[in-house]
Amino acid sequence: MNRRRVTVVAAAVGVVAGVAGLGVLAMPAGAGPAPELPEVGAEALVESVLTAKPSAFGGAVSVTNDLGIPGITGLPQLSDGDSKLRVWTDGAGRVRVQLPAADSEKTFVDDGQTGWLWDSAEQKVTKLAHGEAEAPKLELDPNAPQVPTDPVAVAREAVAKIKEFSDVSVDGTARVADRPAYELVLTPKPTERTVLREVRVAVDSELRIPLRFEVLTNGTAVPAVQIGFSELNVGPQDAALFTFTPPPGAKVSEPELREPTAEEKALAEGAFTEANPQVIGEGWDQVLAARIPADSLKNLAQQQGDDREWKRDGGPGQDVDVEGLLKQVGKQVSGPWGSGTLITTRVGAALIADDGRVAAGAVPEQVLVEAIGQVK
Amino acid sequence: MSAPLVATRAPLGRQLRSELRWIIRRPRTVIGLFGLCLVPILAGIGLWFAVDDGDASGGPGLAAIIGGNGLVLPVFTLFLALPLLLPLVGAIWAADGLAGESQHGTLRGLMIAPIGRMRLLAVKSFGVATMTLFAITLMAFVAVITGAILFGGTGMLTLSGTTLSFGPALARIALTILLVTVQVWGVAAIAMAISACTEHPLVVMAATMAGVIVFAVLGLFEALDWLHPYLITTYWNSLIDVMRDPLPTEALWRSSALAGCYILIGLSLAAMRLATKDN
Repeated sequence: MNRRRVTVVAAAVGVVAGVAGLGVLAMPAGAGPAPELPEVGAEALVESVLTAKPSAFGGAVSVTNDLGIPGITGLPQLSDGDSKLRVWTDGAGRVRVQLPAADSEKTFVDDGQTGWLWDSAEQKVTKLAHGEAEAPKLELDPNAPQVPTDPVAVAREAVAKIKEFSDVSVDGTARVADRPAYELVLTPKPTERTVLREVRVAVDSELRIPLRFEVLTNGTAVPAVQIGFSELNVGPQDAALFTFTPPPGAKVSEPELREPTAEEKALAEGAFTEANPQVIGEGWDQVLAARIPADSLKNLAQQQGDDREWKRDGGPGQDVDVEGLLKQVGKQVSGPWGSGTLITTRVGAALIADDGRVAAGAVPEQVLVEAIGQVK
Repeated sequence: MSAPLVATRAPLGRQLRSELRWIIRRPRTVIGLFGLCLVPILAGIGLWFAVDDGDASGGPGLAAIIGGNGLVLPVFTLFLALPLLLPLVGAIWAADGLAGESQHGTLRGLMIAPIGRMRLLAVKSFGVATMTLFAITLMAFVAVITGAILFGGTGMLTLSGTTLSFGPALARIALTILLVTVQVWGVAAIAMAISACTEHPLVVMAATMAGVIVFAVLGLFEALDWLHPYLITTYWNSLIDVMRDPLPTEALWRSSALAGCYILIGLSLAAMRLATKDN
C-alpha cells in the first residue's frame, strides 16, 4: 500500500518534471545579465568600429524580419519571420556563407581566387572568377572629394557626418551570442522627418565588430528588422570550410561577362539621363527620386517575358501586368502633384506616380509627396 | 526435507529476452517489418524513375541531390516515414504491450505475478523501444543497399554542397537513425500511457495517430506559434539539419530534448495508471 503511494508520487513528479522541461525548452534563450564593461564614449566607439581589423570567426546569424514585404520563395532570409544564415571567415578575404531553407540550402564559398555558389534545390554550381563576384560600385556622388586613405581620418569624417543628423549614444551593455557588447544607439535629431525611431547596434567589446543590428520604427516596441549573431566563435576556422569542389553530377555554369554592345550602352545611358535619379533632402529623410520613362515599365515586362520565352524554348511568353501588381501591393493616392500608388512598409515607403515619377525613402507619406513635387 | 524456498526474482535479462521473443514471434510483427523494408525499395524505385526521367534533379528537397548519391536514400526514407508511418509502428507495439495483453486477459496474470508493476512497465517499454530502434535500423539498412544499387556513389553529398566520405556518411546515417528513433520513442511513450488506460489496442493506435495528425495541423497555423515549441511534431522538419555540413546541432538537441520530455511524461503517466490499477 505504502509502496504504491510512493510509486504514484514518483510518477507524478515525473509528469511535472516533463511538463516543466517542455516549458524550459519553449522559453526563448535568455540574454543573461548585462555585462560590466569599462565606459566608452560614443564617438570613440563608432571610430573603433570603423577602424576595426577583420578577424577570423564563424557563427550563425539570425534574421528577424517584420517589414511587411511578401515572402520570396527559396530565400526565407528576406521574407517576414525568423530565419538563419551561417557565416565563416578567415579574416583575410576567404568567406563561406550558407543560407539554409526549409529543405534546401544555398552555399557561397569564396576561396580567395574563385567564388562558388551552390544551390541544392537545383543541384547547380555557379563559378564566379574573381573580380566578377564583386558587387558593382554605386557612385552616388561623383563629385565627392578623393577619399583619404587613413582609416582613422575616414572614421572621424564618418562620425562627424553621422552626428550632423543624429544623436549618438552608448545605451548600456548587452550580451549577444554570449559575448559582451556595447549598445550603440543612433537616434534621428528631432528635426528629422523619418519613420525610423532609432537604430541600435550592439558592438563587441573586444573585437569592435557589430554583433547585432536593430531598426526600430515609430510606434512599436519590436524591431522591424533584427539581424544578429546567435552563435559566434572567434578564432581561426577550419581551412576546409573555405574550399569548394563542385560535386560530381552538379551542373557547373560559368556566366561569361560579355561587353555590352554600343546600342545597349546608349540605351542605358539614355534611360539614366531620362530617369535623372536624384537625392532630395538630407540625413534621415533623404528621398531617392527619379522619373521612370512611361513605357520603360512595359518594356521591362516585355523583356522579362522574352527572357522567359527564351528559357522555355519557345513557350508562350507571359505578359506581366506591372500596373496591376502595383495596385495589388500598394494603395491609390492622389494630390496636387498628381496621382499614383503608395507602397508602405514598416521602415519606409515608395510613391510611384502614374506619370512615371518615383520617390522612396525611410520617411512618412507627406515627405514623399513633397519630394515627388520637386521631380521634374 | 528440502532446502527452504528462497524467493528469487527472475533475472532481468531473461525477462527482457522473453519479452522480445514474444514480440518477434507474432506473425504480424514479422509481416510489419517486411512491409517496412518495402518502403525504402519503393521510394528508391520512385526516385530512380524521377532522376532517370530528364535532368538529374529528382524533386524538391533531399530528392534533388539523390542522383548518383545513394547514401542519401536512408535519410530520405526515414524522413518520409517519420510523420505517419513510424509513429504508427511505435503505437502498434505500445498498444500490443499493455492494452493487447489486457484484452487477452494475460495482463492480469502478469500483474499478480511476483514481479513489480514498475518492472513490468520497464520490460514492456524496453520491448517497444528496442523494436522501434530495430525497425528503423532495418529500414535504413535496406535503404543503404537499395541506394547503392540504384544510385551508386561512395560518398554522401550534403545539402551544403560538400561531399562526405564513406565513414562520415555512415556516421550521419547512424545519427539520423538515432534522432528519428528518439522522436518515435516520444510518441510511443504517450501511446504506452494510453495503452495502460484501456484494454482495446485499436483505441491506442487511433488516439496516438489522431494526436500526431492534430499536432501536425496545429503546426500549420501561424497564429498558434506560441504553442509550436510544445509540439513534438514541430522539429521533425528541422531534423533535415543532419544533411547540412558543418552539422548544426542546435535544432537536433532541441528536438531530442523535447522528445525526452514526452518520454518522461508518457512513461510517468503509464506508471501512475499501472500502480493504481486493480489487477
